[in-house]
Parts: sequence; structure tokens; C-alpha cells
Amino acid sequence: MSNQGISRRGFMRLTAGAGLGLLGASVLSGCKPGGTAGKAQGSFNWMTWGDHYVPGQLEKIAADFKIQANPTLFSDNSEALLKLQQVGGKQIDMCSADALWVPVYHEQKLIEPLDLDDFPVSKELYSLAREFKFWTTSEGYLAYPFGWSPIQVAYNPKYVTPAPDSWQVLWDPKFKQRIAMELQPFDVMAFMGCATGAKEPYNMTDEELAKAKQALKDLMPNILKFVEQNVEVVQLLANETIWLGTQNLGVEDRVRDAGGPEIKAFIPKEGTVGFIDGEMIAIDAANRDVARAFLNEAEKAEWIAENFIQFGRPLFNERAYKLLEEKGHKERADRYLYNQPEIALKMNLKGPAPRLEEYINAFNEATAG
Amino acid sequence: MNVTSRQGRTQALFRVYGILGYLFLYLPVFLLMFFSFNKSSAGSLPFTGFTLKWYQDLFADRLVIDAFWNSLRVAVLTSLVSTVIGTIAAFPMARLSFRFKEALRILFILPIMVPGLLIGISLLIFFASWLDIRLSLATVVIGHVVFTTPFVLLVVTARLLDFNYLLEWAAADLGATPFNTFRYVTFPLISPGVLAGALFAFTLSLDEFIITFFTIGPQSTLPMYIFSQVKFGITPKINALATLLFMGSILILCTFFYTLSRRGQART
Amino acid sequence: MAVVERIAGEEEPTGRIAVKSTQRPSPLLWGLLPIGLLLMGFFLIPLSVMVLYSFWRVEGFDIVRDWTLDNYAKFFTLPAYRVVLLRTFLISLAVTIIALVVAYPFAYFLVRHTSPRWQRLFLVLVILPFWTSYLLRVYAWMSILGDRGLINQALLFLHVIKEPIRVFLYNQYAVVIVFLYLYLPFAILTIYASLEKFDFTQMNAAADLGATPWQAFRQVLLPQTKAGVITAFIFIFIPMLGEYITPKLVGGSGGLMIANQVVNLFRGFQFPQGAAITFVVVLGIIVFLIAAQKYLRIEELYRR
Repeated sequence: MSNQGISRRGFMRLTAGAGLGLLGASVLSGCKPGGTAGKAQGSFNWMTWGDHYVPGQLEKIAADFKIQANPTLFSDNSEALLKLQQVGGKQIDMCSADALWVPVYHEQKLIEPLDLDDFPVSKELYSLAREFKFWTTSEGYLAYPFGWSPIQVAYNPKYVTPAPDSWQVLWDPKFKQRIAMELQPFDVMAFMGCATGAKEPYNMTDEELAKAKQALKDLMPNILKFVEQNVEVVQLLANETIWLGTQNLGVEDRVRDAGGPEIKAFIPKEGTVGFIDGEMIAIDAANRDVARAFLNEAEKAEWIAENFIQFGRPLFNERAYKLLEEKGHKERADRYLYNQPEIALKMNLKGPAPRLEEYINAFNEATAG
Repeated sequence: MNVTSRQGRTQALFRVYGILGYLFLYLPVFLLMFFSFNKSSAGSLPFTGFTLKWYQDLFADRLVIDAFWNSLRVAVLTSLVSTVIGTIAAFPMARLSFRFKEALRILFILPIMVPGLLIGISLLIFFASWLDIRLSLATVVIGHVVFTTPFVLLVVTARLLDFNYLLEWAAADLGATPFNTFRYVTFPLISPGVLAGALFAFTLSLDEFIITFFTIGPQSTLPMYIFSQVKFGITPKINALATLLFMGSILILCTFFYTLSRRGQART
Repeated sequence: MAVVERIAGEEEPTGRIAVKSTQRPSPLLWGLLPIGLLLMGFFLIPLSVMVLYSFWRVEGFDIVRDWTLDNYAKFFTLPAYRVVLLRTFLISLAVTIIALVVAYPFAYFLVRHTSPRWQRLFLVLVILPFWTSYLLRVYAWMSILGDRGLINQALLFLHVIKEPIRVFLYNQYAVVIVFLYLYLPFAILTIYASLEKFDFTQMNAAADLGATPWQAFRQVLLPQTKAGVITAFIFIFIPMLGEYITPKLVGGSGGLMIANQVVNLFRGFQFPQGAAITFVVVLGIIVFLIAAQKYLRIEELYRR
């Protein structure tokens, strides 16, 4: 938002004294660009999702390395972007985001591209995670890769026969009021794009978008509800209220844990949507070095393996896979595609559709009822 | 004879209605407490076995506990500030007539009309870009006070209308200072309204999520934690926390009212 | 009957002071200062940015300062927004009326049929369930009303039905029940605050003069607790117009409300259009309040 940028700079000029003070503080804390992520100590501010660390992890890193992470939790990419636009690196040092949201942060000049080689821990990553095209720029890599998951269609085989392999199953009139979906307008429109054969589900042409909108309109009688949180899909599948739902990896186990029936999930043959998320360092981050040092510790295989056990979706740390094998989690890790990161690149990656307004209005109109 | 039996019947009817009312209010709470002992991680039926795992998980997670204390701190401060601001504004609104009162009346309920999302984003832009101040729990309290004060103002105003002013005048005639009149006459008479207003403010603040996200510094509150689990879902750890919180409040309340009633008895 | 009316009509002497009649303004006026500063500084001024946005344009993720009325025009040209606004209005109205009808006798029960010593405790108990998370409570409702929920289980156990039935959740009834649950305490507390000060000897007087309980209620009790009822109406009806999480949770796919659409627009960085829709709704409420003031005599609320 350019106008705030201007008024903000204007204000900064007025408070030059305070600005100088801050500058002095940042010089004192030894903040200089470049250099390896190493031994900085102190605290830093991290805007993230609740599944990007495991209980006890932040306490342990604070105790061992004197690096205190202060997490501020968010739920939607757009909200985090808006907040970083406004407060900048002075108040937020590191921020998590999904695949194609990351380049938006870069275009908005909110993040500092990284050199992964500065992070010794990055050697533990699958090599393909070091060279995502959409995160590669001339200035560096835009985010430190963390986890990923395709959105699958979960179904109850007792009611949904024969085993489906296509998005088309959702439109079967047998499943009136038997489907639940997450309420994320871009993603729902992208599902519809996948189903109707759009080339780029997040960047559809007028014609494709019109088709996707009609598809969603036609689907409405089958949709029982849009969910606020993923756990709702698990609950609804477990008590057989719904027979089909869109879900991240791992739904089978989670429904079984909830005392529910056998559930299967598939990736539709027309392709699907998925997320790849990572950590970004804010531009001019006040505690840049601390955040980088934290990343180097927090991304270690031991923690990533722990994170997999806790949340059950694949991550990009290759060494963690070996640890999982050793700990006897190989079967689950394989089932959750941990060792097949190349699948991540076949997904349509989550992001804001470039045609923001058209997508949102299409979604609002199709769901108005 | 006829009258008393009829009164008895009315009394019984209202008692039944009251009990049903409390059942309606408490059924979901009992159920969510029950889920905190259920093995199922989805926090729902069916019951898959008894466990205390969620309580262990809760105590192992310092961040959830921190988030809870942040929520509580914000809610207590918010209810204190908005109760004071709302109550003193209720007096002129109820008792005086002045120009622009109509306009003020609408202005004062405007924060209830504007969705929290807009309030949150405008405050973020205001604090961060215009004033360039650091976000913290203090800015969250400001955001919460903005949207809870109208509730306090309206409840206390409703209470003050048709208030029996003869009592205040009588007190003044008998030589009470304005302060003593307020302390011993006015305040006891309006206190149910003030209590209701404070409860509103506390309750609304405790569950507020969207204004909080946009105005908070490097912290989280409990609703932020809960909503942040979008990708993989919350676990009954939160049910465990809610259960403890609920039990704690009941305990504190009962002790409070018990000592209050004991003191009342001692005095008579 | 005439007698009853006279009792109800008899005004207590009230100490309302007209400022004009005294030379110095009443010191009570200072009470408006804090709330005035609060709302001016932290609500109106910040919100002005949204008002400006609603007349500007968005390009990608940036606001462009081109003056336009397009955002308002879109609200009136895209039928989806009108349809949803109408639905929002009807749901809110239904919930508000039901909540008032349910809450009034409950507040009456609290005032008349609980021991005075424990009354405050009973009052706090009304709101205590609301100190547990909102989301968890709504999830709990889903476990009560759902296909395999408590109600269905009970009916199955009693052999009333053979198969679980879906009449309790994800339809308008469920929306009304859960909204009723969420807003009931607000109605109860507000009506309580105004019932509690009522002098119930007036009811006995009315009865002695031959009024039926219903007549006494209509002509003595209700008029004197009107302020509480109208306040409760405002508390439920207006915030409901801005609700977006509950409709998602229990409303089913057909139950999304206007605030859901505004949130979608904001999540897509369409601040101008989202803000414009919000302001149309806000203006609508203001017009409604001004009109209601004339016809429903809301001035009872702040009588001059």
C-alpha cells in the first residue's frame, strides 16, 4: 500500500531522532548484511502458524542457545502479509508463508532474499527444495523451505463406490449435502479450475473462470458446509456426517484416531492444489541475525522429524527422513509421501490469484445461494 | 387459598424454566469438558477411551499457557477500563439533554456495527504507519476497549433510566456529600448494570480474535492460538485448558459468594 | 382496565436536569470526555482510512488513489451481495426476536425466583460458559445436534427413529439455535439489569385492581423495562450483522452471511470493495435506528 509507505516515511522524517536512535541500536547489536547464520543470541519476533514448531522446541532452543523466539500466530496468508506491510522488520523479524504468497512479499519489498549456503543446516534439505523456481531470484532465495502437502479428496469407501480418481465425483447427485470444504476463496476456485480443466487454476482466463464459477454453483447443493478449521473435516468424516472432503495429507489416520470409520484419500487425476511453506526474513529486520541463527537450529533434522511425528505432513529435510526410519516411522513417512518431494512440484501451488478481484467476486457470487 | 396455590404453580413453572435455561447454557460446556478426557484427538464424539494425555500435553506447552495468560491479562484490563469509561459516560446520556445527543448516541454504538476486521486493520494502519508506535498488549487493550465500551455504556444507561432520583435527593438533603451519595446511594443502585457491563466486556475480550491479531506485538493470545491451527486442527489440549479455566472460575466464584453471604449473615 | 393504565402512566418524579435551565453546564458532562477521546482517537480517525479506501482503487496489492464510486456501484449491480444481505438481515431479526422472548422470562426468574443472596452468583453463572472458547462451544453444539450427535443417539436409544436423521444441524434451525445460544446471555443480562430495579408491588396493585397477569405484564411491567429490551435488541441484532465465523461453522453452505463476503474480499486484498459494502450496511443500520427511534420511540432509551 503505497500511500502508507509515503505517510510513514513522512512521519519517520519528523521523528528523525527516534530513527537515529534505532539505527544506533541496530549498529550496536552488530547487524550487518551478509555473513553466515551463526552464533547470534537474543530474542526475535516470528509470525507463524501453530504447526511450525513443536511443543518444547522453542524452550529448548532458548535454553541451549540463548535464542528466544516470540511467536505471533496467524491463520490466513493475507492477514500476515497485511501485517508485515504495516509494521515491517522493526517489529517482525521472520514470517511464514505459503508457496506463491512468498513472491508477493518479495515484490512488495518486505523480505530479504537468502543465500541458503549461509545456513549450514540447509545441507540437510532435499536438493530440489533448494532450487524451487518460484523462490529463486537474482538477489537470492526467497524463503527457507519447511513443509508441504497436497490437498487430497478424502472419502468414505462405504458410501463412495467405486473408488473415485477424479474431481468429478464431487458433483454426483448421490452426495447431496455430503461434502465439506475449507473456506479459502482462492483455493476453492482453484479446485474448480482443476476440475474443469483450467490450465493454471490460480490464473484462469475469463472463460475458464466463468466455467469454474458455474461448476461451484452446481456443486453447492452437495456442499454441506465450508469449514473454518481442518479438524472439522476430520470430525465430520468420523461421525459419517459427510462422505467426501478436501484435506491435507494424513486424514485417514486422524479420522481413525477420532474413532471414525475407514477413510481413503486420493489425489485427483486432473491435478490438485497444495502448499509448500517456508520461513522468510523480513527486510531491515531488527533482530535479523538472531532470527537467522534460530532458523539454523530449528530446522535441524531432529526437530523436523519431531514435527512430522506431531503433525504428519511431509517436510523438506532429507536427513529427518533417515531419523524417522531409525525411529520406526518409515511406514507412516512413506505413506505421507515424505520421500517423494518431487510430487510437491506437480501440484498447483497455493497463492493469491493474480486476478484477485475477479476470483473473489466469482466465489462470492457462486456461494451466495 | 386459591391465590397461594396459583402463586406456587407460577413459582414452580419459573423454576423449571430456569433450570432448563441453565441446562441449555451448560450442556455444550459439559460436553467440551468431557472431550478433554476423550482419547479422540478431534475433540468430538464418539468416546474412544479415557485419557489424561491432553492435560499432560497442555502443561508441556508453555506457549499455550503464555497465550492464555495474555488473553486473561487483556480481558481484565479491558473490562476495567471500558467499565469506567462506559459508566461515567452513561450518566450524561441518561440524565442530561444537550445538543448533538442524537448524533453522539449513534456514534457510541458505531463500534458495534463495524465488523472487527475493519476495526483491526484500521488500528493496525493507524498505530504502525501513522503513529509509528510498537504494537504490544497495550495496543490490543485499546482495540478491545473501543469495541467493548459501547456495550457497557448501553447497559448502564438502560439501568440509569427510570432510576429513582428521590433517593439521591434525600441523601443530599440529609447532608451527604456528593461522593458519599454516589458511594452509598447511586452506586449500589446501578451496580447490577455495571456488573453486567463489566461481564460483557470481559467475555467479549476473552474470545476476540481478529482485532487482537492486527494490534498485537510479538505475542499471541489463546484465540489466536486456536485459530492458527487451521492446517492440522486444534487438539483437546484446548478442551483441557477450558476445563481447568471453567473449574477455576467456579471455585473462585463460589468462594467469593460464600464469604460474601457469610459476612452478610454476621452483620445481621 | 383504565385503572391499570393510570398506574402505568403515572410517572415517577425523575431528576432529569435540562442543561439549558441551569447556567453552568452539569459536571456530569465531563463523563463524555473519555469516551469521546477514545472513539475519536482510536476509532473514527483510524476508520477514516477505510472510508478513503472505499473511494479508491486497488491494483494488485497496492491501493491506488484514484477517486471512484465503482466499489459502491458493485454492491448494487452484483445481485449476490443483495441476496446475502437480505438473508443476513432476516436471520439476525429472527434470532433477535427469539432471544428476547426466551431471555425475558429467564431474567424474570432470576429477579423473582432466586434468593436475593445468591442472585448475583446466578447472574454470573449465566455468562460463565462463555469464558471457554467460542470455537469449542460451537464444536460441542455440533456434537449435540449432528448426525451421530447426542439428540440422534437419544432418539435411536428410545426407538423413536431407526436411522440417524439430519434435521438438527446445517440448516436454518441449527443456525438459529446456535446463535440463540451465543447471544442469549447478552439478552438475559441486559433485561435483568432493567428488571431488577422494577418495583414489583406495582404488579400486585395491578392484580388487586383486576388485571390478568398478561395485562399486568403488557401494561405495567413491559413498558417500564422497555429500555432493557431495546438495548438487548441492539446488542444482538447489530453485532449479528457482522458475524462471520458462526455462519461458517453451523450455517451449512447456504447460510453464509454478508460479513463472510466482506472477509473474503479482504482476504483477497479487495479493501475498497469490502469497505464499501461494510459502509453500505452501516449506513443502513443508522437509517434503521433513526427511523426506529421515530416509530418505536427508542428515545425511551435515553429520554430527554
